[in-house]
Parts: sequence; C-alpha cells; structure tokens
Amino acid sequence: MVVTRNAGRYLFHGAFRNWLRNLAGTAPALGSMTLLLLLSGLVGLSGFAMRNLAITEAHDASLLHVYLRDDATDDQVAALRARIEADHRVAGVGYTTKAQALARAQRRPGLPELVDATDSNPFPASLDVQVKQVSDVGAIDALVHDDAAVDPGYPTSYDQGAYQRIQQVMLGAAIAGAAFLLLLGFVALTVTANSIRSAIHARRDEVTIMQLVGAPRWMVRGPFVIEGALTGGFAGLAAGIVTLLISLALISAGSSSFAQVAPGVTVEVAIVAALLVFVVGIALGSGSSLFSLRKHLES
Amino acid sequence: MPGSVTFCELPSLVEFVGVTRSYGSRVAVEDIHLGLDPGELVFLVGPSGAGKTTLLKLINREIRPTCGEVWVDGLPAHQLSASKVADLRRRVGVVFQDYKLLPRLTALENVAFALQVTDLRISDEEARDRGLDALDAVGLGDRADAFPHQLSGGQQQRVAVARAVVSQPPLLIADEPTGNLDVETAWQITDLLEDIANFGTTVLVATHNVEIVKRMQRRVLTLVDGRLVRDQPAGRVGRLAWAAWS
Repeated sequence: MVVTRNAGRYLFHGAFRNWLRNLAGTAPALGSMTLLLLLSGLVGLSGFAMRNLAITEAHDASLLHVYLRDDATDDQVAALRARIEADHRVAGVGYTTKAQALARAQRRPGLPELVDATDSNPFPASLDVQVKQVSDVGAIDALVHDDAAVDPGYPTSYDQGAYQRIQQVMLGAAIAGAAFLLLLGFVALTVTANSIRSAIHARRDEVTIMQLVGAPRWMVRGPFVIEGALTGGFAGLAAGIVTLLISLALISAGSSSFAQVAPGVTVEVAIVAALLVFVVGIALGSGSSLFSLRKHLES
Repeated sequence: MPGSVTFCELPSLVEFVGVTRSYGSRVAVEDIHLGLDPGELVFLVGPSGAGKTTLLKLINREIRPTCGEVWVDGLPAHQLSASKVADLRRRVGVVFQDYKLLPRLTALENVAFALQVTDLRISDEEARDRGLDALDAVGLGDRADAFPHQLSGGQQQRVAVARAVVSQPPLLIADEPTGNLDVETAWQITDLLEDIANFGTTVLVATHNVEIVKRMQRRVLTLVDGRLVRDQPAGRVGRLAWAAWS
C-alpha cells in the first residue's frame, strides 16, 4: 500500500505536476505531434480505402468479359464456354444476356443518357470469365480472341496494362504517404525529445540528487517517460477526435459516393482509427522520451 | 589466533587497487592503492587539480577507473553496470561544497525526499520521523520547516549532512564541505563529521582547510598530481607537503 502510494506520487503525480508546470515548453511538441497524428490517421484511413480499392480492382481486372456476336448461335456459345471452362487457369464462367448487360449499364454513372439516345440495345451478351491469376488474363484473351462466337469488333474487356497502371499509382501513393509520415514522425520525435531534454534540464538538481542518493533508475527516468506519454496521449486524443469527426462528417455528407471513393471506411473503422491514433500517440510520446533520456541522462 | 578478529583485520570498507583514471591524455589519478576502514575519519588533501574530486567520484561510481579496482562495501564499483549503481550509492552518503539542496523543499522534505526515493517502502510518517531525527542529530530539529533560502550556509550544510546520513550508510564522502563556510561554522561541521565517524560511519573528507586537518590529527591522505604521495596515520602531526605548493 505504502509502495503503491509512493510510486504513484513520485511517478504519476510528479509527472503530471511537472507536465503542467512545463506546458509552455511542451506546447510545440504537443502541436507538432497532434498534427502528425491527425495526418497519420487520415493517411491511414486513405491507405485502408486504397487497399480496398486495390482489392476490388484486382478482382475486376481478373474478370474478363468475352463479348459475343449478336448472331452467334447457342451451339457456338456453348462450345466457346466449354473450351474456356476446360482451361485450368479459369476459376469460373458466367453468362450475361443482352438485357442484363443493358440493365447493368443503366446503373453506371453517365451511361443511362447513352442508352436513352438509342432505340436498340447496344450492349452485347457476354461470357464473364473469372481468371485465377490476373497475369493470365492476357492468355485467356488470346485464347478466345478469334472464336466464331466472339464479337470481332470488340472481342473482350481486356485492357493490357490497365491493372499495372493502377498498381503503380497506388504504390506511388503508398510510398509518398509513408515518406510524408516518416518525415513528420522524425519532426515530432525530435521536437518531443527536445521538450523532454528541457524538462530534464529544468529539473537537473532534482535528478542529480536522486541519482546521488541511489534512487533506482526507473524512479529517475519514469516520470520523464510518463511526461512524454502524457504529451503523446493528449496529442493522440486530440488527433483521434478530429480524425473521427472528419470521417463521420464525410460519411454522413455523401454516404453513397463516399463508399465508392473510400470503400470500407465505415463508422466502426473510423472509431478504430481514432483509437489507434490515440495509442500511437502514447507510444510515440514515451518512445521519444526514452530516446531523449538515453541521450541526455547518463547514470 | 582463532576467534580473535581485531578491528584492523576486518576487510576495508573502501579499497583502491592500482587505480588510474585518465581523461584523454591527462592522468587525473595514477596507481592509487588505498584502504579505508569502518568508522575512520580520513582527510583527503592536496592542491587544486591533484585528483581529490576524481577519487571521490570513483568511490561513488560517477566515473569508472581507466584501470584498477575500486571496492566499496564489498561492491566492485569499477565494473558495476549502470543498473546496479543505485545499489552502491545507497551505501554512500555524499556532501558537497554547494550543499545541493532542493530550493522548493523544506529542510525536512529535503531529508525525507532522499530517504523515500531510495526506498518506496518507507511511509510518509516514517520518513518524517527519521528525517526529524537526522535534523535533530545535526542540531536543526527546530528548523525542519524552513526552506533552504531561510537558512545560513552552515545550516544548509547541516541539512545536507542530515540528508547524507539519514539512511545510515556505512560511508560518507564530503567534497570540500567547509569551502563556503566561515571558520567557526567550518569547525562545527567538522565536529559533526567527527561525531558521525564516532558512531561507526567511515567519513572521507576532501578539503583545502589546512588548519582543520592539522588540529583534528586524523588520518590524512595527500594527493599531488594524481599520486598518493603520503598516507599519514591518525594521531601524528605531519608536515602537509602540498600546502607549500598551493
């Protein structure tokens, strides 16, 4: 009981009191860390949405639509389907009629006007081939390209390099995001470590006395680590709340379009992101404190 | 003779074995061999830069020797890891010329602080009682609630001594404890250190005060240019060789 009370007083109460006392000196660290964590939260959510987009794109890219001639006979279509299904690289084959293709087109942005402009149904029936590996889509395209049942003018949906271009864009975005976060992280770590160094300097006499009378290391260092955790925790709390509010505002402002632009980002995901931002703030604050202590507080 | 262990046959509380400490190319202390027994009051003298403070820092493991061994109360200070240094320092009370009291704490709080940060099992009541006992012992029981700026230099040094001995360490080291004090107060502090030694604590005092060293007639270690040039036993009045040089 006595040990708990003394530890609480010297570690937590002392740290909180000193943190409040040094708030003016800590403010730059608090600000930069809040900014970093807010951007981390938003970049993290964007990354999550991009990952979901990439998964969707990968799925779409491995789905090859084989467009059929309007005058293709059922036997020709059946033969083509059998040939495709026999290929070990194919996971499955579906069939879309002209009417279904028209209905699907009418649900896509911009296409209803095009549909209304013509009396006939311009959309062909298709065999929808789910290929196991994206890299095999080109081979399947070549396999069906010259079949008698296939539309010679626009045989398939295969767009060589489209998926690779998307991947490249996403990889570039991920690298840029990571580099940006690393830079901000470095700045936040440096500023926080400096604020802890100032705190150590301000309490140099107390630290010296503690070291000379034989206080254990954790007792000397603990309050500074907790001070760093407080800075990171408050920054994380502020950044987490703002991240959550921004996410909720975007979700409620345009739920359908937001779901298309940022698939998978729901209220639950936003809450988890806010909590993560808070936890990362605490870890970042105490981590930079430890770094500063190792550097500036020799035994 | 079996069963008759004399005081002199006890192992030294502090033992230096061929200790050298260098700062780059400058040698601060060189090839020091030394033993301090329990309950001794020993003066460490020498001109400025002779290595007195370096020797005290070696005992308190503020620095490590470049070579040689330093043993303090059975602990190898020369090879202690950073995590074990606190164990050694709990066995060594330290007094400085500039007192090093925390200005926002009262005299009693300064003493109790040193006690509680080294042992969390000590309650506030126990820390207060032991702190008051220590302040009483140095003659400041009635100034326990005074802040350092409300005390004279001598009184502040007494508080520093109380802080150093409150946990009853076997060794007390003092670096120029009378350096900032007038003659009369310096004598009071020296008497206090002697009392502490009489109660069984080994006291090592680094000082420039020739008058005190001569009149106390205690063991005197003389350092010159980092070398222990003389180890004068207690009870002898010797010529302080270094005094002519300083």
